[in-house]
Amino acid sequence: MKFRAWLAILAGFLPASLVAVVAFLTAYSWPAIRFNGVNFIWHDVWNLGNLYADPVHVGGMPIQPGAHYGILFLIVGTLLTTAIALVLALPVGVGAAIFLAEATSGKLRIWLSSFVELLAAIPSVVFGLWGYVVLIPLLGRHVYPAMAKVLAVIPFFSGPPGSGYGLLTAGIVLSIMIVPLIAATLRDALVAQPKSLREAAMGMGATRFEAIWNVVLPGTYRVLIGATFLALGRALGETMAVLMVSGNALNYLPHNIYTPVSTMAAFVVSQLDSALQDPTGMAVRSLAEIALILCIISVIINGTARAMLWFWARSPQPGGA
Amino acid sequence: MIDRHSSARRCARICSAIGIAGVLLAALLPGSGTARAADQMRLLETGSSLLYPLFNLWVPAYSSSHPDVQITTQSTGSGTGISEAISGIAQVGASDAYMSNPQMHANRSMLNIPLAISSQMVNYNPGVNLPHQSIVPIHRTDGSGDTFIFTQYLAFSTPSWNQSIAYGTTVAWPAVSGGLGAEGNPGMVNASKTTPYSIAYIGISFKKATDAAGLGEAALQNRAGEFVLPTAATVQAAVRATAARTPADERISLIFAPGAQSYPIINYEYAIVNSRQPSRAQGTAVRQLLDWCINPRDGNAAHFMDAVGFVALPEAIAQLSRKQIAMIH
Amino acid sequence: MSSTMPQSSLSAPAAARWLRRQRHLNFGRRLFSIAGWSMSALTLLLLAIVIVWILTIVLMRGWAAMHPSLFTTITQGNGGGLLNAIEGTFVLGIGSLALAVPLGVAAGVYASEYRFTRWSSAIRFLSEVLVGVPSIVLGYFGYVTMVEGLGWEFSVAAGSIVLGIICLPYICRTTELALRQVSDELREAAYALGASERHAILHVCLPAALPGILTGVMLALAISVGETAPLLYTAGWSNYLWDGRLTHSPIGYLTYAIWTFINEPFAAANALAYAAAFLLLLVVLGINILSRFVLSPRP
Repeated sequence: MKFRAWLAILAGFLPASLVAVVAFLTAYSWPAIRFNGVNFIWHDVWNLGNLYADPVHVGGMPIQPGAHYGILFLIVGTLLTTAIALVLALPVGVGAAIFLAEATSGKLRIWLSSFVELLAAIPSVVFGLWGYVVLIPLLGRHVYPAMAKVLAVIPFFSGPPGSGYGLLTAGIVLSIMIVPLIAATLRDALVAQPKSLREAAMGMGATRFEAIWNVVLPGTYRVLIGATFLALGRALGETMAVLMVSGNALNYLPHNIYTPVSTMAAFVVSQLDSALQDPTGMAVRSLAEIALILCIISVIINGTARAMLWFWARSPQPGGA
Repeated sequence: MIDRHSSARRCARICSAIGIAGVLLAALLPGSGTARAADQMRLLETGSSLLYPLFNLWVPAYSSSHPDVQITTQSTGSGTGISEAISGIAQVGASDAYMSNPQMHANRSMLNIPLAISSQMVNYNPGVNLPHQSIVPIHRTDGSGDTFIFTQYLAFSTPSWNQSIAYGTTVAWPAVSGGLGAEGNPGMVNASKTTPYSIAYIGISFKKATDAAGLGEAALQNRAGEFVLPTAATVQAAVRATAARTPADERISLIFAPGAQSYPIINYEYAIVNSRQPSRAQGTAVRQLLDWCINPRDGNAAHFMDAVGFVALPEAIAQLSRKQIAMIH
Repeated sequence: MSSTMPQSSLSAPAAARWLRRQRHLNFGRRLFSIAGWSMSALTLLLLAIVIVWILTIVLMRGWAAMHPSLFTTITQGNGGGLLNAIEGTFVLGIGSLALAVPLGVAAGVYASEYRFTRWSSAIRFLSEVLVGVPSIVLGYFGYVTMVEGLGWEFSVAAGSIVLGIICLPYICRTTELALRQVSDELREAAYALGASERHAILHVCLPAALPGILTGVMLALAISVGETAPLLYTAGWSNYLWDGRLTHSPIGYLTYAIWTFINEPFAAANALAYAAAFLLLLVVLGINILSRFVLSPRP
């Protein structure tokens, strides 16, 4: 039993580090949580106050005069970029998965799948580099002005086309980063579906594609939802690529799809050195509060996805395995 | 199966061997010179992106005459320069902004030592003949000395700005839809370059870059009502009008100087240093570096100043700086 | 348009109804199938084009910026070489593995060999949750606890620990999967021959699962060398080679070079950024391809 005990202790470092991170962030940001209250989420202004004036006391805590922390624009920015990323990535991921699983086999499938998964291996900062150097000039100078003219009837797509830094660009880069996750997971699920399903459907007169679309694919809906949640979690935490292409908006909500935005993760990176200017420390703790909220949201989404996948793996699903 | 296992085992052995050997080699490898690592004095200079181009010119010249000192330069923004100098992570924090009163109260051993005098441009990307388009203001996202001096200009010249936003290395910019944030002076140049109808505040040391990018330069209205561009003459006029007021701790704003020819946005480039250094050797190294920087024959020589568009410290100010440098131990 | 098949089991009456409606392969159905396959192929093509585009740009511009002095000189201001960054990436990668491999493999072994205990379920679940924590959150945690709190300043120790925490769940997961692939008969044979639990696990199961574990370790290494945000606030940056100290000494790394130097409006700095991206891509893609095709070819 001694060996098992040792192993259990060593193994315990992993959950311990997770607990430590959450506990520490909560403890560190507690003064900020008390100061900011619930308004943190509804208010739209991130204001460190007058850094060159003397601190005042509010609620027993020293802060710079005029300091007020609200992250509504960050929450909106995060949600919108993630939503756009999912809307772009799901069709591409599903289509690619169908092709890989059904139209290729053997060595070709292995090679093509590995090729698609190369995308998942590229580091985030390299995506940011490509977006900053190639995508932004292309979109800002050519694509967005054309889009703004052609799609002017749709309210959110009209208006000034901006400079290329913005919501849609960040959404595009994010979608490229999460597509391999969806495609690979769905492809494995499609391949794992029993052949009898396909054969039965085709035996009843369906074409090959109809069989896939109406019989095989519905059997993988659960995996698809699980994969979507995982991709959502990944997109929420993406930092460097978004930081380099999103435009870093401050204190305003986007009025069209080309407007600059900020996301929570990118904001924490870009604002840490500004926050360190606050001698009272409230700004750094408010940033820690943002990190904590981000951590909790990611944990909830990831935990839900894993729980769903685990639960569904146990209960039989009609129409498929 | 057996093939994969033996190849895996071999792979594992080779990788671990490489890893361990590599780390040992890296740890024992001396620095870029031939001296052993323990004899090398390493200094970290971090902070202002406005001072960064000048420090990059200074370091090779300094290192050739002082080979036992290794200086790493970083462009991270004045805010980071101040905070890392306070926490001791950096030995020299470069900043366009002096420390605030609360910061000085909390950290009484800090010194703000001017090394040179710089100015700031306001650049615009005009499109064609100022058409009827929305203007895109670009601001700094990092804690920035450029933000400090620009907002000081706005605060001193416009009472309503002073009431609502005041000045600082970070401010809550008014919400203008479409406004961009950029990181560092280089980021400002890039963002301005790619955004038509934009306005950005960029340090004078990036004039070559803004000219290459085809950005226009705005003439600013000074206290006397005249519109002036930042040239050596206008900056010198502003220096003459304000430098005499500099107190012993050298924390003073040179913004919005009086005089018909004065350029309104000029500032001291500060080295934020802790007067209490962790070791005598480090204190000596920092003192020697800063003395070299303000020496009119070395760091403050004309060819360095002209390369970045700065102005050398007047002798009286250099004297004050020397007195502060002598306090580092 | 084709109607949807009933989701429940293929019951005869429902199937017969469907068949009656769709007796003939009419034009609508044919169009749907063709359109479907075309869209599917198009999406894959779109994906392939994007991948090729990204790789080509980075590799081509990176190759143009490569020259031998990159590997022999250190970074100087806005130019110079990448020797310090390459060494730093290497040191941080090894450092993170030094932490993550023992702890991660132990966690994976426990999760697999004692898989019906509650502790094992907890480890498995929390490991998956840890994967989802954004790396910037871990970097912030590292900054406040180690860089500021413990006073280590920018250091190899802080950077390695944070990277190690990022790698832990990946190594745990792949170790557990690899051990599960080991057939039970092998274990039973070991026990039947009188091996203790420790001997069976360490000397029989682990070696059998080695290819899978190694794959996991290499993939975790690829992830840790590609990280930027957490290192910005734990390892700092240094223009010089590592001086061997674990604390109070910042270190360079390739991702910083990419992030910082692409921003500078100077051609020499941009060349450094592309060269660093080139090297990083080579390392990361090389690890991925190696582990995929040499160590564990997928069926």
